[in-house]
Amino acid sequence: MGSSGSRLSKELLAEYQDLTFLTKQEILLAHRRFCELLPPEHRSVEESLQIRVSLEQILSLPELKANPFKERICRVFSTSPARDSLSFEDFLDLLSVFSDTATPDIKSHYAFRIFDFDDDGTLNREDLSHLVNCLTGQGEDTQLSASEMKQLIDNVSSWARPGSRREGQGLGLTLSLPQILEESDIDRDGTINLSEFQHVISRSPDFASSFKIVL
Amino acid sequence: VEERPMWEPEAWGSSGGWPPPRGARAGPSLSSVLNELPSAATLRYRGPGVLPWGASEEEEEDGERNIQAIAEAAQKELEEPLPSRELPWPLQARRAHRQSHAKDQRTQKSGSRGEQWALWLRRSKEKMKAGLHTLQPWAWTLKRIGGQFGAGTESYFSLLRFLLLLNLLASILKACMTLLPTWLEGTPPGPPGPNGSSPCGFYDPNLQGLVAFPTHLFNLLSGEGFLEWSPLFYGFYPPRPHLAVTYLCSVFVIGLLDLLLILHRSVTPKASVGPGGIEPKWTISWPQVELEEAVVRRQAAVRTLGQQAWVWSVRILLNLLVIALLGTAFYGVYWATGATVDLQEMPLVQEMPLLKLGVDYLPSIFISGVNFLLPPVFKLIAPLEGYTRSRQIVFILLRTVFLRLASLLVLLFSLWNQITCGGKAEAEECKTCGYNYKELPCWETRLGQEMYKLLLFDLLTGLAVMLLIQFPRKLLCGLCPGALGRVVGTQEFQVPDEVLGLIYAQTVVWVGSFFCPLLPLLNTVKFLLLFYLKKFTLFSTCSPASRTFRASTVNFFFPLVLLLGLAISAVPVLYSLFLIPPSKLCGPFRGQSSIWAHIPESIYTLPQTVQDFLFFLGTQAFAVPLLLISSILMAYTLALANSYGRLISELKRQIETEARNKVFLAQRAVALSSARGAL
Repeated sequence: MGSSGSRLSKELLAEYQDLTFLTKQEILLAHRRFCELLPPEHRSVEESLQIRVSLEQILSLPELKANPFKERICRVFSTSPARDSLSFEDFLDLLSVFSDTATPDIKSHYAFRIFDFDDDGTLNREDLSHLVNCLTGQGEDTQLSASEMKQLIDNVSSWARPGSRREGQGLGLTLSLPQILEESDIDRDGTINLSEFQHVISRSPDFASSFKIVL
Repeated sequence: VEERPMWEPEAWGSSGGWPPPRGARAGPSLSSVLNELPSAATLRYRGPGVLPWGASEEEEEDGERNIQAIAEAAQKELEEPLPSRELPWPLQARRAHRQSHAKDQRTQKSGSRGEQWALWLRRSKEKMKAGLHTLQPWAWTLKRIGGQFGAGTESYFSLLRFLLLLNLLASILKACMTLLPTWLEGTPPGPPGPNGSSPCGFYDPNLQGLVAFPTHLFNLLSGEGFLEWSPLFYGFYPPRPHLAVTYLCSVFVIGLLDLLLILHRSVTPKASVGPGGIEPKWTISWPQVELEEAVVRRQAAVRTLGQQAWVWSVRILLNLLVIALLGTAFYGVYWATGATVDLQEMPLVQEMPLLKLGVDYLPSIFISGVNFLLPPVFKLIAPLEGYTRSRQIVFILLRTVFLRLASLLVLLFSLWNQITCGGKAEAEECKTCGYNYKELPCWETRLGQEMYKLLLFDLLTGLAVMLLIQFPRKLLCGLCPGALGRVVGTQEFQVPDEVLGLIYAQTVVWVGSFFCPLLPLLNTVKFLLLFYLKKFTLFSTCSPASRTFRASTVNFFFPLVLLLGLAISAVPVLYSLFLIPPSKLCGPFRGQSSIWAHIPESIYTLPQTVQDFLFFLGTQAFAVPLLLISSILMAYTLALANSYGRLISELKRQIETEARNKVFLAQRAVALSSARGAL
């Protein structure tokens, strides 16, 4: 981390530690990885803090490559007007939210923004089907057909029978997607807003453990 | 009373897309009106100088300033301002917030004493928690494991670390309460020689004459010879009154401590357990699992009566098969334990120490064999029963748990049979001394030896499986070409099997720690070895699981099984304490009618007030009011929970109504403004 010559100053490190959930080592590692994405002539400390890296380059990081939501993640954390590039501070934001010590509140807030594919502030049916498609993969054979999708999200009544739900939840084994829609839409408007999403995520212990990225 | 003709959830949901460009329509649309509501604006706020969520560049300046003003007002109303890092804003916005916040704090007088105290208390609590977290060993290893192999595997190692802590605490307590008092009052005497004058025979565990080295080694493995009269086993401890009290109390203290720690662990949510990298599968594959289950459920729903009968008869048959297998296994264990004593009398066995060792280990071999062979059979049977996958897993787990714990119980039952001549106190061999003194002059030590052997054999089988099965499989199948090599060579870490193995090992230690006081210490060493062995095996031979075992199951179901193991282990220990007469020739309780009898006697030596208090605790005058008060508290809690439940449904209904009102008013606003626009 010192060999490349570009080192963050102590005050800057302390400030980043104060403002994010990352430790000093993580911040330094992040800076090093970020500088590797820059062209060699721009790798000084001052430039690395000003310059913005395009989305394609960030998506080439191995930690993000396997992630089905990689593009949404980068768009959500980007502060550029066109939402297509990340600065080093955006990158730190990304790692901070996905780190171990980030509060579940902030994780669920950003998870909501990531899953809100049409950016309208709520998770509606299209968002959920888009979400399911991302989870099942991009391949032709794994994508669900329209009827399967409809069945998955639509026929909530047959799944939300008290017996089936109780048996699943009693053993902590399932909290399925349709059940989430059925249970978490408290105001019954057909969409899930931020507070409903945060409420249902807080009861799902697997969520926080799977919402992590570490370099 | 409720009318809902004008409002459809779909209409809003599907039309809630991008707000159309301002120029292109006559008046504001429904979604733009709803987006301007204060609640929506506050949620979209991203900090000073940053575009709000969902805003594009063409937003009007007015709109943005409006949002900002509202958001800042909302921030000021916050009771306790959030620390900057917890705001869901970009970094530069948080920086600005921190600077303005720091400025505010410097300008205004610091808050009242009470507030400062509360703030200081909160901060020190957080620091303490952070400090405790850093104390936990192997945190980084666990993160790496979780990142590469999933949360289920990480939970296994986390459980192993927790059990290590339990055993370490138990061994420290044991050392303080049994070893220390023993040597405090002088070195304990040696074993009673063969010329004892007691009617209960003699007891001479030390081997006479020159002992060959292999014999020493075998004695080490079977707990006999030089180990039999050593601090390792119960028989060694001298019959001193203080030692007796502390020896007995150590069992209860350790049991209570373990109970509290397990309950604490299963109740507190695990905040920091989690993978440290991207999992191979980003989240658990909900859709595939749900579709499979949907298929099974649909099949179940359309079954005709004939098919139902067929499925149920198959299920009953398979369950009978399972019961038969379990019965055979238990009978095998029972027989093996009984046969050990008979086989040891054979002269052939006496001559060959290796054979003697094998006969000694017969019960352990049987139990390990049964635990090795039957679970795969359960796994094969389960899919035939036609349940959904999650239910299948539950059945497999329940059957395996039953197998493991019950085989241990059968072993103990068989030993009990030997010790108490089948419970018949008037039997020939048990008449004189209350226990079978000819075969088992010191039955507690014998029990401790069995548990010791189980522990050792468990470790040896773990090692053997690793060296003889997993590594060769990985090496050989790395050499095999093509798909066959890959299929046979990919091993996955079987989380449920491994966790149940851990729980079984811990139950053995709980049963044995009264009869073998150093067993927790041995177990600590064993678990330490196991941690590193399993970690090494994991990273060298296993590939990430294709079907991640949910961490929530591990964190909920397995502590329950651990508690079950603790409860089951209490049964033989308490039975021996209260009902079986202690050996007359060894141990701290020799010569008494029962092990527990010492406690009431020592209570009589305490001062009168303490005696009265302790006796009062046992009377009805204490127990009945206690029961009454507990029932009242329980009824009160239930009533409270009920009323909260009703309040929650009431509030939910209100939220629904308010949402409908909101949409209704917004639609009216849209209708009115477009009507005005058209005019």
